[in-house]
Amino acid sequence: MKPLYSSSKNQMNRIAVRPLACWLLAVFLAGTAGLCFVYIKLQQNALGNQTRQYESVLAQTNARIEVVDAKITSLTSRTALMHRVQEGFIKLIPIEDTKIARLLPPSNEPARHNELRTAANERRLQ
Amino acid sequence: MRWNTKRRILCVGVGIAVLFTAFSARLVHIQVNQHQKYLKIAADQNSSRKAIYAKRGIICDRNGEPLAINVPIHTVFADGSHINDAVALAKVAAPFLKMDAKELEQKLRTKRPYLVIKHGVSEEDTVALKKATQDNKQLRGLGYEDSTDRVYPNGTMLCHVLGFMDFNGKGIQGIEMSMEDYLHGENGYRYIEHDPSGREIVVYRGQERAPRDGLTVRLTIDMGLQTIVENELDAAYKTLKPEHAVAIMVRPQTGEILAMACRPAFDLNEVNKANPEEMKNRTITDMVEPGSTFKIVATSGSMNEGVTDEKTQIFCENGSYAYGGKVLHDTHGHGLLDILNILIKSSNIGAAKLAMKMGDQKFYEYVRRFGFGEKTGIMLPGEINGLVPPPQRWDKLTITRMPMGQSVAATPLQIVMGMSVIANGGHLMSPQIVKEIRDRDGKTVMKFDPVVVRDVIRKEIADYINTGLSGVVSDQGTAPLAKVPGFTAAGKTGTAQKVNPKGGYMDGKYVVSFVGYMPAENPEFVSIVLVDNAALPSNLNYGGLVAAPVFSKIAEKSARYMDLIPSPKVLPVAHLDTQGSDFVKED
Repeated sequence: MKPLYSSSKNQMNRIAVRPLACWLLAVFLAGTAGLCFVYIKLQQNALGNQTRQYESVLAQTNARIEVVDAKITSLTSRTALMHRVQEGFIKLIPIEDTKIARLLPPSNEPARHNELRTAANERRLQ
Repeated sequence: MRWNTKRRILCVGVGIAVLFTAFSARLVHIQVNQHQKYLKIAADQNSSRKAIYAKRGIICDRNGEPLAINVPIHTVFADGSHINDAVALAKVAAPFLKMDAKELEQKLRTKRPYLVIKHGVSEEDTVALKKATQDNKQLRGLGYEDSTDRVYPNGTMLCHVLGFMDFNGKGIQGIEMSMEDYLHGENGYRYIEHDPSGREIVVYRGQERAPRDGLTVRLTIDMGLQTIVENELDAAYKTLKPEHAVAIMVRPQTGEILAMACRPAFDLNEVNKANPEEMKNRTITDMVEPGSTFKIVATSGSMNEGVTDEKTQIFCENGSYAYGGKVLHDTHGHGLLDILNILIKSSNIGAAKLAMKMGDQKFYEYVRRFGFGEKTGIMLPGEINGLVPPPQRWDKLTITRMPMGQSVAATPLQIVMGMSVIANGGHLMSPQIVKEIRDRDGKTVMKFDPVVVRDVIRKEIADYINTGLSGVVSDQGTAPLAKVPGFTAAGKTGTAQKVNPKGGYMDGKYVVSFVGYMPAENPEFVSIVLVDNAALPSNLNYGGLVAAPVFSKIAEKSARYMDLIPSPKVLPVAHLDTQGSDFVKED
């Protein structure tokens, strides 16, 4: 027989712990996934910004290299060097005839044993 | 009552349903039917197609010395929708843009999203300007576009060959024009999205295509030889004060152009200051009467045809030959001359008689076989054909005038290629100015091999004529001043009266030239020096006196530069006439 007054504990609705836990877990996972998604998006954005900055630095460095290359080319061009010679910054010293050794043209015939031969000028053979 | 309530509820329900149906229909219309339209509006607001510019290929000489290079520059533009404080921005930016602050401020007050402030801002100034304006929201609104400027490190040197570009970066003269397809490259692109402040959102980068940089064009020009030629031509131009002067150097075996120069010249870095006359590459765009340099055609042609041989003696009428109602003169009277001495003495009558022996048609055929009257096919724009009238249009005198280089017009390049036929043993070569084309990694993607246009004369005939041309550069010939110590040079002088565009010839005005090669026994180069109307009295205005010394200086320095082996012996000059060691006028 049921007692007339039961304890308040018995009067409360019973909580289904298992489904609640499941729901909490699902909400937690969904929340975590959402936060992860936001975090990843932010990271992606930050990395994108970093990429853009690196690209910018790289482009600037390349541009500077090109500028410096162009300056070097201009300063070492024949016209610039001729100006330098005329202004006296560079001096050309002619080689005296007595210090030039003229060799005979190289022979096309096969060399004999231990024979010293004149080397062919590669530039002229091109 | 109850019925009324039900009806009201029904009416409201139907109304709401109709309303939502309308909304749904509208939504479907917008989302489906007008999808493309709104997609485009959204894309226009946030995304754009960013061009990635290709670099123009560089031009260099045969040894890799750069002749035309690129320098990065920037175009600075204003985006009016982002400018907060035009006054402050103008104050900061003006020194970097080298503009007046007030003028800049006026420009910055624009509401337009794109207004070019300045083109051609240097890399250094751009970097400094970016640094000065970054991280300050009051100084927003400037944008930068990458671009390049073409720079020619040697200024005026080789200007007519290299050419230049127009404002849009397209070659409009010289190699820049003829090699445009290889040099210009292909721009790439990238679809980007940007945030409200205009910065790119890298995560949303769309389709992308990398740019293809232009290729490197390597010329056959040797800058060492070009410098020698230009320096000597400059000196002659200053001393002789001609209307113009040209010089070309060619390797006869391959047809490679080693040097090519014209005076007056212009600075490629300041093209806007040059006048059109200075920009003409007269080696291919102007034609002149070649004068006696043309005598190689009649002498070699007659021998090649078997009409004459080494023993043939031509009576040169003692300097005065009446033909066709006119009298043809030699400056010095000569009796019997063989083929070589006709060249050495530059006898007009001898050359005319050789051509007459060949006949009109055969002589004309040899003129054409030497390449006169047709384009050489050099890879430079603006080349002309020259002028060689066919025998049908000749008058009685043409057969006596054409062999000595009158009644015919040729470009300096045609003359030098014609002389190369003698120097290389009888082949007409196609002149080459481009050696090869390489990619950015230095890998050869296209190579231009020597092209033999045709065999003109037999080798033994060329060798024989070579002996005569060596005699021209001797004390007995017309060009002793073309001699080069230690080497055997060969060549032919030319002195032609200047043609009057209105008809006839101009009194006292001459186009003088010397076209020669060295060493005569194994020619390494053929060169022409042509001087148009030097400021000299008529009795000094000869090819042998004006152009030959310039050739000699060029040849001597070139021999040192090319490390040529001095000639072991001076070639014998056969059958030399002992009389007349002086120069003769050959027109």
